[in-house]
Amino acid sequence: MRAFLALWRRELWSLLIAPYVYVLLGFWYLLNGLMFSTFLEFPEIQADLRLLPPYLFGSGLLVWLLLPAFPPLLAIKLLAEEHRVGTLEPLLTAPVRDISVVLAKYAAVCLFFLLFWGGVLLQFLLLSWHGAELDWARVLGGFVGALMVSFLFLASGLWASSWGGNLVLAAGGGAAINYLLLFLPAFFETDEGRIGAIARACNLPTMLDRSYSAGLVDSAALFYPLALSGLFLYLTWIRLVSRRWVP
Amino acid sequence: MIRAEKLSKHYGSLVALDQVDLHVPKGEILGFLGPNGAGKSTALRLLSGYLPPTAGKASIAGHDLVQDSLSARAHLGYLPEHFVAPADLRVGEYLRFRARLKGLSRAEAKTQIAAVSKRLAISDRLRQPFLALSKGFRQRIGLADALLGDPPALLLDEPFSGLDPLQREEFRSILRELADDGKAILFSSHVLPEVEEIADRILVLVRGRARAVGTLADLRQVQQQTGMCEIRFEGDHQQALSALLSSRWGEQVQGLQEHAGGLRFRLAPEVPRTEVFQTLANADYGVVALQEIQPDLEDLFRQLVTTEAKACEPS
Repeated sequence: MRAFLALWRRELWSLLIAPYVYVLLGFWYLLNGLMFSTFLEFPEIQADLRLLPPYLFGSGLLVWLLLPAFPPLLAIKLLAEEHRVGTLEPLLTAPVRDISVVLAKYAAVCLFFLLFWGGVLLQFLLLSWHGAELDWARVLGGFVGALMVSFLFLASGLWASSWGGNLVLAAGGGAAINYLLLFLPAFFETDEGRIGAIARACNLPTMLDRSYSAGLVDSAALFYPLALSGLFLYLTWIRLVSRRWVP
Repeated sequence: MIRAEKLSKHYGSLVALDQVDLHVPKGEILGFLGPNGAGKSTALRLLSGYLPPTAGKASIAGHDLVQDSLSARAHLGYLPEHFVAPADLRVGEYLRFRARLKGLSRAEAKTQIAAVSKRLAISDRLRQPFLALSKGFRQRIGLADALLGDPPALLLDEPFSGLDPLQREEFRSILRELADDGKAILFSSHVLPEVEEIADRILVLVRGRARAVGTLADLRQVQQQTGMCEIRFEGDHQQALSALLSSRWGEQVQGLQEHAGGLRFRLAPEVPRTEVFQTLANADYGVVALQEIQPDLEDLFRQLVTTEAKACEPS
C-alpha cells in the first residue's frame, strides 16, 4: 500500500506541475464556456433548463470531438514519457508490483481528470447560484456519466502509453481507440439483428444522453464503461508483466 | 547472494548473452569486464528483473528473478547505465519517493536518506533539481537510490562512466566500504584499471560469453601458462620480428603486439627462452632483453577478445 500511495502521489504531482496539461485544461474550459453560453441562448433550453445537462455532459460537441483525444494526451505522461526519458527502468526494478504501478498511475490521472469535468459542474453551480431551477439528478447523473466515459478513455490511453517510448504513437493510438469506441457502435447501430442490438447497447453518447444525463443509471450503462476500463487496465498490466515473463 | 546459471538472452537470431554462470557471495565485488556490446548491460538487466532470460536462471538472495521477482527485487539495489531521475523533482524529493516506493515508513525513509546522503556526500544537494547536478553527482544519486532499503545485493551498470579521476577514486572507496559491510556487488565496466583495482574477482564477457572468471591472480596464472614474453630492442623491430617469425619457434609465437619500444607476444612454455634470446642476440638486431612478464588485465583482456574475434571469423 505504501508503494501504491507513493506512486499515486508522485503521478498526481507530476500532472499538477506539467505546463502542457494546463494548456489542455485552458482549451477545454474555453470551449466549454463558449458552448455553455451558446446553449443558454437556445430557446428550448431557456424554456426548460433540464435539457442543458445532455448538451454539456452528453452527446455534445465536447464528447464527440475532444473527449476521445484529451485523456490519451494526459496518459502519455504515465508510461510512454517514463519510457522515453529512462525513468521506467528504475521504477520497474523497484520492489513494487506491476499491478500497483498500473492502478496508482490510473488512479492519479482519473483524480486529475476531475478538474476537467469539475469546471463544467461549476457552471451549473453558478447557474443555480443565480437562481436557475435545475434538476440536480440530471446534472449529477450527467457528471458521473461523463466521468465514467472519461475514465474509460483514460484506461485505453494508459494502455496505448504502455506500448513504448513514442509519445506520438501513444497519444495517437489512444485517441484512435477512443474514436473507434465512440463511432463504431453508431456505425453498426440498427433496430434489427444481434449486431445492431449489441452496437446499440455499446453506444456511449446514447448511454450518456438517455441514462446518465436523464438522471437514470441503468446497469448496462454502468457495466459497459467499467468492464471496458477493466479490460484496458488488464491489457496494460499484461504489457508490463509480460516484459518480465516473455523471453 | 547474486547467482546466475546458464543465463542466456537472445534477440531473434542475435545472442546477447550465452549461458553465463556467476555467483557473487556476501562481501564480494565481482567486476563484469567486456568491450562495448559484450552483453554486460543485458546481463545486469536480466539480473535486475527488468528483462526476462531466454534460458537459464537467476536469483537474488535465493529468490528466483522470474518466479519470485518481487522478493528478489526487494533484496536488490540497481543502478542502471543511464540513470535518470524525474526532472520535476528535487534530489531529496526523489529519494523520499524511492524510499516510500521500497516500502520504508516515513521515519525509516528519513533516517536512511540522511545516512546514505552522508555516506555519499550529497547532503548539500538534496534541495537541488536532479538535472542541475553534474554527472558525478547524478551517479551518486543513483547509488543513493540503490542503497535505500539497505539491500544485500547491488548491481551497478558502468558506475564509473563520466566520473573524473577524483570522483572515481571516491566511488571506488565507497564500493569497497559497502562490500566490507557485507554487500554483494556486481558492477560492469569496460575501463580496465577500475576493474583491476576494485574487483575481488573478474568475469570477462566477450560477445555474450563468459571467457574467464577468477581473481586477477587466477587470470594471470592462466595467462602465464601461455607464456607472455617481452623483447626490448635498441635496433630495428621489423628485422627482428621477421627473424623471430621465420625461426623454428615462429609458429609458437601468438598475440604479437608492439608495446613501449618492444614487442610482446605469447610463447608456449616448452620453448626455451634462452635459445630464442641467443638467436636474436647473435643476429645483432639490437635486442637488449627478453623477459617473461607479469601480464596485466589489459593483456588478458586483449588476448580474450582477440581469441574470441578470431574464433568468430568466417573460415
